[in-house]
Amino acid sequence: MANGAAALPGLAFPKETFAKLTPAPFLQAHLQQAQSIRPNGRALEESRDPVINTGSLSHCNGSAVARLGDTAIVCGVRAELLLASSVASPPNEDTTEDEAIEELGLLVPNCELSTGCSPDHLPGSPPGSLAQSLSYRISSLLYSSRLIQPSDLYVEYVLPRTGDDIPDQGPATVIKAYWTLYIDILCIALDGNAFDAAWTAVIAALKNCKLPKAWWDQDREMVLCSPVAKDAHGLSLRSVPVPTTFALFSTLSPLKQRSIAEYWLLADPDNFEEGLCTEIITLTLSKKRGGGMIGKTALAQILDLSKERTTRWRAALKLG
Amino acid sequence: MQADRRRLNGPTSGTAPPVFATPPNWKVQRPTRSRKPDEHRKIFLRTGIVPSASGSAYYEIPPQTPSQQDELLIPQSSSLKVTCTVHGPRPLPRNAAFSPNLLLTTHVKFAPFATRNRRGYVRDASERDLGVHLETALRGVIIGERWPKSGCEVVITVLEGEEDAWWGDAGNEQDGGKAGGWALVDAGIDCVDMVSGGVAAVVQQGSADEKMDRDVVLIDPTPSEHYGIKAACVVGYLQSRDEVTEMWMKGDAGTDTEALVEGAVRAASLARTVLAEAIKEAVELRSDESHDNAHANGSAKAEKTKQKDVVMTG
Repeated sequence: MANGAAALPGLAFPKETFAKLTPAPFLQAHLQQAQSIRPNGRALEESRDPVINTGSLSHCNGSAVARLGDTAIVCGVRAELLLASSVASPPNEDTTEDEAIEELGLLVPNCELSTGCSPDHLPGSPPGSLAQSLSYRISSLLYSSRLIQPSDLYVEYVLPRTGDDIPDQGPATVIKAYWTLYIDILCIALDGNAFDAAWTAVIAALKNCKLPKAWWDQDREMVLCSPVAKDAHGLSLRSVPVPTTFALFSTLSPLKQRSIAEYWLLADPDNFEEGLCTEIITLTLSKKRGGGMIGKTALAQILDLSKERTTRWRAALKLG
Repeated sequence: MQADRRRLNGPTSGTAPPVFATPPNWKVQRPTRSRKPDEHRKIFLRTGIVPSASGSAYYEIPPQTPSQQDELLIPQSSSLKVTCTVHGPRPLPRNAAFSPNLLLTTHVKFAPFATRNRRGYVRDASERDLGVHLETALRGVIIGERWPKSGCEVVITVLEGEEDAWWGDAGNEQDGGKAGGWALVDAGIDCVDMVSGGVAAVVQQGSADEKMDRDVVLIDPTPSEHYGIKAACVVGYLQSRDEVTEMWMKGDAGTDTEALVEGAVRAASLARTVLAEAIKEAVELRSDESHDNAHANGSAKAEKTKQKDVVMTG
């Protein structure tokens, strides 16, 4: 130094500045401690507990607000009627009820992130890839988990008896209309792990959902609903899948050998961690119920087998 | 209309909202205004709900009358729930033209479930209109010269809107939704004052059967509570400078115009007290936090923080 001063004071950055300047080393420094504590104060496998409020929106059939730490998501379910007569290609006899509601598209989830919930998703542009993928993932999980009992969505009509009925047969019923559930998911605040929070909100809103009693009015040829709340029925959710999201943080870089890279698995990542992690995995578990013969050991066996098969495939495809 | 391919759309043949039958021996009760003409409804306002935004607020006017929601599925009265976030000021993108002032962008969006009829995801004309009004109201309060080459976004999401019409009456615009909108600059942007919004309306007093000839100026009207709203006025008002940054009138107030504006200004002053209180609370909270942090750093936790703070020598 010019004046020969003994030592310059060290430039100590506060935590926030360090996190902003070099986020990845900052996270790594935290994880490398003897007891890994993430920058947000949680342990590696510690996730945030959801807080759920339901039924606060008056214009919805069902609504919920789910909070996961600083992530807050509002979900409103609105039911509208789809007349069976207006369906262009009604599901044929072979499809099961569950397939039929998917074919008709009776569940319409949409996730909206451009509500100013984070600086990365500002309004004024069409939904980004995250919003689109969230909508599709929720939609496919809704259908594949067979969450909703299809018969809850039917508006049935018992045909009046006519002279040429077979006397011993019960009264015939036809489906006159279907309830279509518009599931609108709005992200109010986003701090990572949008999928878990959104799914939690969807489930809570569907549980809270009340469909009015509806009947086919033959004289008016339309579906009428009863406004009395006592007549309304809820949706019976069959098996509720619960998602858990993990993010993988690694020190892997093209400049280093693969073997010396370190890996950490972080449960329920927040926004800062999501930005640094290369891989994110979501597992959805639901209670396995009836029917299946596949148990835990069999499942492990299947996993092993598929791993083995993958190597053979890769060899065949010369992927190395 | 072309289907939106970036979103999931409902069945192609379209769906219809349910039609309700009136139950036998049920008399429909219209909500009535129980407060005085110059009394504002209670306001709930909280700031700092979105941590990643530079400023955010949640604004709610809960329903005043206990609703009969337990008995009926159709809500008799609805509340107003609005969230607002402010992002910025931040540098404009490189390709943007030079701007000596802060570029303010406002977005107002109703949630699809905000109103009785389901709304789409794409902003419609009324939402754009509200956005423009909000922008003019805020432009007057921000000291834009202090932030050249920067942009700032104000985003308002209406989670639940006021009932603009009651069971199919001829309606008036969603002015209630706006009052919340204004009340919202806590982003630490240089402002000359706090802007607050107020609504007033001229309504015809009297029941449906009587001849309605008495016009009354009310502040903070709820459209569902009145039969005929002749005119409504929204202002954005700066109390300490006694300045109106935005005025928006709809309908024909006739000779009552001045009284109507006065009423809206009075409503704005009332809303301001709530706003000031909320901001004071937020500031106190923040200063408490920083005080706590400073305290903790000095004591037992010093060891831990030392580990986290990394010393860089230059």
